[in-house]
Amino acid sequence: MLLNSVIIVLREVLEASLLISILLALSGVLGISRRWIVWSLGFGLIGAIIYSFGVTVISDWFDGVGQEVTSAVMQILIYLLLLALTFLVLQKHGVHQLFDKLTILVMAATVALAFVREGFEILVYIYGFSNELPRFMSILTGAVIGASIGISIGALIYYFVRSLSYWQSLLVGLALLALVAAGMLSQAVLLLIQADWLPSQLPIWDSSGWLSETSVTGQLLYALIGYEATPGALQAAFYFGGLMLLIVVAIATKLRRQRG
Amino acid sequence: MLLACIFGVAPVLAGKLVVEIEIRDHLFWPSEVVVPANTKVKLLVYNRDPTSEEFESYELNREKVIMGNQKAVIFIGPLLPGEYPFFGEFYPETAQGKVIVE
Repeated sequence: MLLNSVIIVLREVLEASLLISILLALSGVLGISRRWIVWSLGFGLIGAIIYSFGVTVISDWFDGVGQEVTSAVMQILIYLLLLALTFLVLQKHGVHQLFDKLTILVMAATVALAFVREGFEILVYIYGFSNELPRFMSILTGAVIGASIGISIGALIYYFVRSLSYWQSLLVGLALLALVAAGMLSQAVLLLIQADWLPSQLPIWDSSGWLSETSVTGQLLYALIGYEATPGALQAAFYFGGLMLLIVVAIATKLRRQRG
Repeated sequence: MLLACIFGVAPVLAGKLVVEIEIRDHLFWPSEVVVPANTKVKLLVYNRDPTSEEFESYELNREKVIMGNQKAVIFIGPLLPGEYPFFGEFYPETAQGKVIVE
C-alpha cells in the first residue's frame, strides 16, 4: 500500500516537477524574478480542488467522455503555452519589459494548468482513504516520499540547467521543454482516442519488451519525453509534428533576431 | 412499429459492442472479459464502491478516474488477438483484470 502510493504520487509529481524546474531555471537564466511560482502553484491548487469536486459532473459531459476532453484541452493548452514561451524566450534579451511580463504570465499559466491536472488525481486518491485513519496515514507517508523523490529529480534538472553557460542553458532548457510539450500533445491525442473523438489505431511499434512503461526508466522517460511503448500512428504524428513546429519556431525566431 | 424497429435496432447494429464491468469491494466483476478482434468496444465501468478508483492499463493505453458510485465510459479497440491486463490504480492489490481479444 505504501509503495503503491509512493509510485502513484511520484508519477503525477514528476511531470509537474520537471516542468517547474525547467521553467524556474529558464527564469533564472533570463534574469526574471521567480516569484511567479508562488501564485501559480496557488492558482493550480485551487484549480485542482475545484476540479476534484466537479469531476463527477465533468465526467458526464459529451456522453461520458468529459474527463478525457477536459484533460486533453488542458494538455493542448500547455503545448501552445510552451510554443509561445519558446518564441518569447528567444525574442527576449532585454528587448522590452513587455516580453518579461508575458514570459512570466505564460510560465505561470503553464505550471498552474499542469498542477490542476496532476494535483487533481493526487487529491482524489488521498481523499478516498480519508475515513480509514491507519491506511490514510500510510498513504500520506507514501505520498510525501513520492513527492519528495519527484521534487528531488526536478531539483537535479534545475541545477544541471543552471550550471551551464547562458546559451547552453537556454538551448538545453528549451530542448527539454520541447520534449515535454510534444509528450503533452501525444497524451492529448491518446485521451481523444479513448473518448472516441479520434480514430483508434493499432500500435505502429511495440517496445514494451525492450523498455516497459511500468519500469522506473519507462516512467521517467514518460514524464520527460512522453515515452509510449505502443503508440498509434496518429499519436506519433502529433508527437513528431509538434516537436518539429517547436523547432521551426525556435530557429525562425532566432534567425529573425540576428537579422533584426 | 416497423420504423421503431428500424430506428431502434439500427443504432445497435451500427454502434459498438458494449461491455459492462463492475467494481465491487475493489474487485472487477467480471475480472476477465472476452471481446472480438478488430472491433471497437465501449467499456462501461460501474464503480459500486463509495471510494474512487482509477481504471488503468498500459497494454490498452487507457487511464481514467472513476469516482465512488459513478460509471465511466472507456472506448477500446480495434485490437489484435491477445491478452490485455488492466487494474485499479488505487487498489492494485485486489483490482486486477484482463481483456481477452479473440
